[in-house]
Amino acid sequence: MRYDSITDAIGDTPLLRIDPQVHGLENTDLYAKLELLNPFGSVKDRAAWNMVRHDIDAAARDGRTVVELSSGNTAKSLALIAGAHGLPFRSITNRMKVPEIKDLLLLIGAEIEELPGQAECLDPTAGDDPLTRIHRVLQASEGEYLHTDQYYNPRNTAAHVEGTGPEIIKDLGGQGPDVFIACVGTAGSSTGVATALREHDPRVQVVGLVAAKSDFIPGIRNIDEVHEVGLFDPATYDHVDAVSADQALDGMLTLIRRCGVLSGPTGGAAFHGAVEHLRRDDDQVQGRRTAVFIVCDRAESYLSYVRKRRPELLRRPARAGSVADVTDEQAAQVPALTVDQARQWITEARPLVVDLRGSFAYATQHLPGSVNIVDEVFDDLTQAGLPVDADQPVLLVCPVGERSARYAALLRDKGHTDARSLAGGVVAWRDAGAPMVRTR
Amino acid sequence: MATETLDAAPSTMPTSSPVNGPGAVPLPLDPLLTDPLRDLLQERTLLHDLVRALGSPLNLVLPQAVATNVDRFRAVYRDHGLSGHVYYAHKANRSSALVRHLASTPARLDVASLGELQHGLGAGFTPDRLMVTGPKGPELLWLAARTGAVVNVDSVAEIAALAQLVRAHGLPAVPVLVRLTAFPTSGTTMLRRTSRFGIDHRDLATALDLLVEHRDVLHMRGVAYHLDTIGLDEKITALEGCVLALDEAVRRGLDARVVDVGGGFGVDYLAQPDQWEAWTSALTAAVLGRGPAMTWDGHGYGLRSENGVLRGALGLYPASRPLAGPRYLDALLSATAPTLGRPLATLLQEGLYDLWTEPGRAMVDQAGAVLATVLEVRDTPTGHCLVRLAANARDISTEDHGVLMDPVLVPAAGREPDGPAQDQGPVGAYLLGNLCLEADLLSRRAVRLPRRPAPGDLLAFANTAGYFMDFNADHALHQPVARTVALTRDHGAWDWSLDEQYWPAPPPTAGSPA
Repeated sequence: MRYDSITDAIGDTPLLRIDPQVHGLENTDLYAKLELLNPFGSVKDRAAWNMVRHDIDAAARDGRTVVELSSGNTAKSLALIAGAHGLPFRSITNRMKVPEIKDLLLLIGAEIEELPGQAECLDPTAGDDPLTRIHRVLQASEGEYLHTDQYYNPRNTAAHVEGTGPEIIKDLGGQGPDVFIACVGTAGSSTGVATALREHDPRVQVVGLVAAKSDFIPGIRNIDEVHEVGLFDPATYDHVDAVSADQALDGMLTLIRRCGVLSGPTGGAAFHGAVEHLRRDDDQVQGRRTAVFIVCDRAESYLSYVRKRRPELLRRPARAGSVADVTDEQAAQVPALTVDQARQWITEARPLVVDLRGSFAYATQHLPGSVNIVDEVFDDLTQAGLPVDADQPVLLVCPVGERSARYAALLRDKGHTDARSLAGGVVAWRDAGAPMVRTR
Repeated sequence: MATETLDAAPSTMPTSSPVNGPGAVPLPLDPLLTDPLRDLLQERTLLHDLVRALGSPLNLVLPQAVATNVDRFRAVYRDHGLSGHVYYAHKANRSSALVRHLASTPARLDVASLGELQHGLGAGFTPDRLMVTGPKGPELLWLAARTGAVVNVDSVAEIAALAQLVRAHGLPAVPVLVRLTAFPTSGTTMLRRTSRFGIDHRDLATALDLLVEHRDVLHMRGVAYHLDTIGLDEKITALEGCVLALDEAVRRGLDARVVDVGGGFGVDYLAQPDQWEAWTSALTAAVLGRGPAMTWDGHGYGLRSENGVLRGALGLYPASRPLAGPRYLDALLSATAPTLGRPLATLLQEGLYDLWTEPGRAMVDQAGAVLATVLEVRDTPTGHCLVRLAANARDISTEDHGVLMDPVLVPAAGREPDGPAQDQGPVGAYLLGNLCLEADLLSRRAVRLPRRPAPGDLLAFANTAGYFMDFNADHALHQPVARTVALTRDHGAWDWSLDEQYWPAPPPTAGSPA
């Protein structure tokens, strides 16, 4: 397929039937609307393009900056669209919680402003919500911004009334689904699709999913936060259910490992929420029922989110023979030299003095004649064997003599004959008034 | 599925119901209580005797609890292999007993006024254990320099003024920390609240040059920051910025090796996090008109409704804060430095730097309470229960600081829980103060009490030693300012003295060894 603009590739995403063996619903055909296959990787591509398409050429002529309150997919889409049209993009956000998205936005060239955390000492006269803040910035400006205003902009919803919703109906052979399930972020996609489906058949049941309050699921608002969204209207939803981060990750894993859909946590939340909701009355369904949920975006941007909550999913096999395996007994058997003993040994045996501290600390001050091999690098070096001749005496140095004893034990375990540790480390060395040098 | 299923269709959305109407029982916000404070609030006879003798309101402080907090903070240092000192930020509470007791522990003292410095010296802190921070006048600078307390300087001008003062009066050289602010970030722009304190990071070179110039009278010990935020990210950036600044200082030949990360570690006030979540959700619903009113005159604590959309920001301290106090310090030290790439604790340890901290609120966590006598209990025609106290919102300023906890009911002797049936079961009540002012409410929300109180009962405002006890108290309308009593427990037995009478070595009593 040939395109002239990347934005032409937005929309017309596949509707994938989920294998009944995966969801276990006897009387429901469950479909996933694969919004992750949009060109920038999320459902937000539709809204972002629809919000700027009418104004972007004029904005480019006037040299304006696209600005939005977003720390996620909307920012990503807008930044890419703005870039492709020669406009800068600026995002004002609360603290970015997902580091990959932050890095990605910087890579795209977005300018990001993060708002300060809450004050420890309450100042009742201060404190305003980010939305008010961004409006203040815009009011003070003189037309240098194109503000897309995703939480209030009807074009956000319209993108789904005109695009996503009709696509679902068409792909289901002109029959809308009986149940539609979507996570509520800006409420744009859920409201837009719900509007299109209801126009087609008012009997459709619409389920909105919000995050459980103590949890953070990227892209979903919690049960209080949804009320801050201008597009959110409780009347849109027949039910509002809450999903936990754990459930979102469970759903995401199922989609990835069993359906071949590389979904992010929001899509996982939608899948989990859909199955839970449908299961409640699946045995009472007369005939067949059709349900659709939205897979909003892709997994790659959330690896650190997964690592934080489910580290076991990303675990690598523990390496044998690394410093983590050194026992306290082994470390205690390492010859630990006092500062005086060490100075004498350095003079007599000319050992290799290895400073295991970080390079910044080493550069600031270190023992004369020492070489800096940062502990984690040293650990890597010992994986293949001894990084130093087995008979070359070595004096290991760390801040207080604890880590150096462990690394010396590791060397000895691997066959080194004379690895010793500086007792009390660099601290003891300094406190004894022994010479230190600086490289910068 | 989930914890909560909300039927959101407007047709079924109740705006009010008989169960939740005026006078309904509000959702609980139980204070987190640990021993010895929890035990103390069970001592009904003792508490009533104290208030009868010393009046209402009455402040209670627990010196032993503060000592426990010192140990907890020092344990974090130990776990990370760090050297340095914990400074109690005196401004959190003016009690003498707490400061004198701290003098008997390894803690040090951070003072922010001439009076606090004198108080610290008089309480037994030698000058090497004192640090002067905040806004300073010439008298304060003179006394600090004369005695040898560390001066945490706030501006380039203050460095010059201090050097000039030391020279003019022929004082000994003064140890100095340089308080920095506005640390640079890489990648994104971190917006920050404007601070009135500290030297802008961009003026660091000027400050260091000045300290080199005056190195005969000012001994730079290190750098400091104190950020008024609960956000870890800003503090992580600041801590790394301090390590980089120290390197600049050392490069200029200054013997600087202290990083003072200030305080702001916070306190976890509530026993159950889900109570906080439920309460704030209910407030949101109330503000939007979708749930029962739960505050005085529809007060929204910063939230408001605009065409059914929630606007504003919740102006409340996050009362449920599991990551607070020593645990917050631990999280900060465990974080990775954004540009240098090592954990911050490792960076400090490897650089042979000393870590100083200045917890205030967190240092007096669980170390006090304020008692107030119930004078009157009445119901309004709209069904609200009003409880008038012999105390006002300045005596117990939790509301001013946005900290919401339910008070603990300490019934009068003889008023057992098996009183008249209509007094049974929990009630919601607005707390009225003793000032002849409409605004003197100790709570603008209905607090939950385990049962309807009666005149003569006490309400205990627990865990209020940090900033809420006597920070704002004054003699407006000739109302009394609370006296403070220090309580200690030895082998289960409580002992007390007036705050000003308390010393770590108590006076001999009959029966004690001479």
